[in-house]
Parts: sequence; structure tokens; C-alpha cells
Amino acid sequence: MAKKELTQTAQVSDKKLRTKDLIYAGAFGAIYIVLMLLVVLGTSAIPVLYIIAPFTVGVVCATVYELCVLKVRKFGPALILGVLFALVACSGNVLGMVLAVLAAVVAELIIMAGKYKSKKMFLLSFLAFNLNMVCPYTMLYFHRDEFLARSVSFYGQTFADELAKYAINGLAFIQIALALVGAGIGVLIASKLIRKHFEKANIV
Amino acid sequence: MDFSLNGDDSKALVRFDPRTKLFIFLACGVTSLYTYSGLYILLFAGAVCGVLALSGKPWTALKGFLLFAVALYIKEAVDHAGSSASVVVLIVSVLTTIVLYSLPTILSILLIVQTTRISQFLSALTAMHLPIKAVIPIAMLFRFIPTVQDEWNGIRKAMAFRGISLSFGSVLRHPGKTIEYVLVPLLFSTIGVMEELAAAALARGMDIDVKRSSFEEVRLHAADYIVMLLFAGLSTTIVVLVTTKGAAGL
Repeated sequence: MAKKELTQTAQVSDKKLRTKDLIYAGAFGAIYIVLMLLVVLGTSAIPVLYIIAPFTVGVVCATVYELCVLKVRKFGPALILGVLFALVACSGNVLGMVLAVLAAVVAELIIMAGKYKSKKMFLLSFLAFNLNMVCPYTMLYFHRDEFLARSVSFYGQTFADELAKYAINGLAFIQIALALVGAGIGVLIASKLIRKHFEKANIV
Repeated sequence: MDFSLNGDDSKALVRFDPRTKLFIFLACGVTSLYTYSGLYILLFAGAVCGVLALSGKPWTALKGFLLFAVALYIKEAVDHAGSSASVVVLIVSVLTTIVLYSLPTILSILLIVQTTRISQFLSALTAMHLPIKAVIPIAMLFRFIPTVQDEWNGIRKAMAFRGISLSFGSVLRHPGKTIEYVLVPLLFSTIGVMEELAAAALARGMDIDVKRSSFEEVRLHAADYIVMLLFAGLSTTIVVLVTTKGAAGL
């Protein structure tokens, strides 16, 4: 018991990111990205599911994110995760990349507002973080015709026509709402799983 | 596609610098956003496979190139067959597109993961004057993708042993349960690996703020510059052609 208290106080007083924390952030980033790619590539054959990917990714990946930030509990892990995500998911789309990193910064600020202790703030920060799933679609919002022309050669005319049906004007807001709802459900699952499994095993 | 845990470049004809491999990875990311049909992308994929073959993985390179060529052929054939909007055509064209879109990137990740040792990678990134806070997460990202795959295979076997299937139907019927059954063991086992890696890094003195020396000699040779120029040229040609003439211009 005394030993546990000792390590805990050491963790609180140590505010700088150590190598150990960087390793955790990078590794959780790898898991997050693999799961995200699995979900997106697995569902992208159907245009509707392609559009609601922010929702599905939010539901599946919330647990990974929460474990990452709960394990490190310092300034940085969400930002590192966000930068890795932006590098993989938005390469070639500078605006999307900047917005994705911004979403991660907002998530960090929310965690900071909870002073790295409040579990509610940790959970809440994923709502902001998951907005980065909307960023790869920024092409679709601002250069809609170019994007659709590209997806003709990407997926063929049939797919592009289907996609055009859903690419309505308010799509950005719908996808942001989807991302928030998905993140909300994901966070509920995450907090349940963390309470059921990871807290008992003393991991977080 | 098996990602082996430790890179091995003992059979390599030309030892490319990890920075060159990273450059190829970035070029693949940019290029695959712009085109997925025509002669140029075949050339591009051929170049990636060529570098992979020179780095000591000729069979992986050959398999990758054949898969790419077959997918490209099917896609062109489907595109020219006419515009009957049947479900089969849609599914086939989407599947081939996924292959065409992701294969160059997957091959370049294979190139990084299979033919680079993690210590080479670390010293190359340090030589780029990146701060250690950026180096470690990026190195971990590439180091950990094979681990995730490995653990995932183990979990699937264990689940099959207990009679829990991961088929499409069962995922649809019990999405919540599937998430729990997959995520919890995956996270538990990977957290174990992470703790071991953190301990190993600590034992190697990664935590001190001194400039680290390394046994690995990283230097850009003539071959590296040639390959980088080749990929920069190919990528810019494709991007310029697509942006000026449109996707149909290729």
C-alpha cells in the first residue's frame, strides 16, 4: 500500500512527459490508427457507411483514447495521438490536417481544465478529439465538385452518384453531430469497460 | 502481408537510409490521394516494389506488384465493360479500388517495417534533428503496427477456440459484445508489451537529456538521392497531371 502511494505522488509531481509516456502515446496511437483504418476500410464499400464513419470510429476507438490519456495523465498524449492521426488520415489535405491537430489541442485543454484528475473531463475530451474524424472530409465540403470528380475515378460512377446524393449542403453539420453522438456512445462504452476491466487490474 | 517484428536487411542489395524509406511512404500517401488508374500509378507501384526488392524482399515485392497489376486490370476491364449499375459491378470496382488505393502505402510500410531495424530508424530520425518527443512516438507507431497484428491473430484464435466467431453476421448482431471481446484482450496484451518496452528503453538510458551516441551509421548515399529524386519526380508528375488535366487525363 505504501509503495502504491509513493508511485502515485511521484506521478503527480512529475509534470513533464518522460520517455515512458511517449512510448505509451506512440503505441496507443498505433492501435488507434489500426482500428480506425479497419473500421473505415471495412465499411467504406457502402456510401452511407462511408459518410457516417465519424460515428462508427467514435464508438469503436473511444476506449483506446481514454486508456491512453488516463494512463499518462499529463499534457501531451492526446496531442501526440492527434498529430499521428493527422499524418496518417489527412496526408495531402493541409486544411484537414490543421483542423485535426486543433481538435486534439481542444481535447488537451479540456483535460487540463479537469487538472488531470477529473475523470469526467477525461471522458468529455474525447467528444472534442473525435471531431478530427470530420477533417478528412473537408475536401467534400469546400471542394465538393472536385472531390466528386475524383471519386468517379476512385470508386466508379455508380459510387460517386450515390455519394453525391448524400453530399448535401449541411453535410458538415450532420457529420459533426454524428461525430459527437458516436463519441458520446463510445465514451459510455469506454467508461463501462474501464470500470469493469482496467480499473480492477490496476492499469489506469 | 505478414509484418515481422524485427526488420532484417542482411539480404539487401542496396541498403537504403530509413529517411529515404520515410520519403517513399510520404510520396505514397500523397500520390494515392490523386490517382488510382492508368499507366502512371502502375509505374509508381513498380518503383515501390523495385525498392522493396533491392532492400532484400524480392518475393514480397513480386507478389505485391502482381496483385496490383491484376487489380488494375480488373478495374480497367470493369470500367470499359459499360455502365450497368448492378450491385456486382459496384462491389467489384470498390474492392479493386481499395486494393489500388492502399497497396502502395502498405508496401511502403512493409518496406519500413521489414527492412529497417528499430535502432537504425531511431538514429535516422535523430539525424533529422527532430526532438526526441517526436522521434519516439513515430518510431513506436511503426514498431507497434506488427505487434497489434500479432496480438490480433492470437485473440482471433483464442476466440475461435471458445466458439466465438468474428463473422460479419455476428458482428452485426452483437456490436457491443464484439467491441468488448476484441478490445479488452487486445488492450490488455498490448499494455503488457508497452510496459516491457518502456522498461527496456529506461534500461538503455533513453530518459536522460544528453545527446545519444549510436553504433548505427546513418548517412545518405548516392542511391538514396537517386531514389528520392525518382519518387519526387513521379509524384509531382502525377499530381500536376491530375490537377491540370483532371483525373481522366491519365
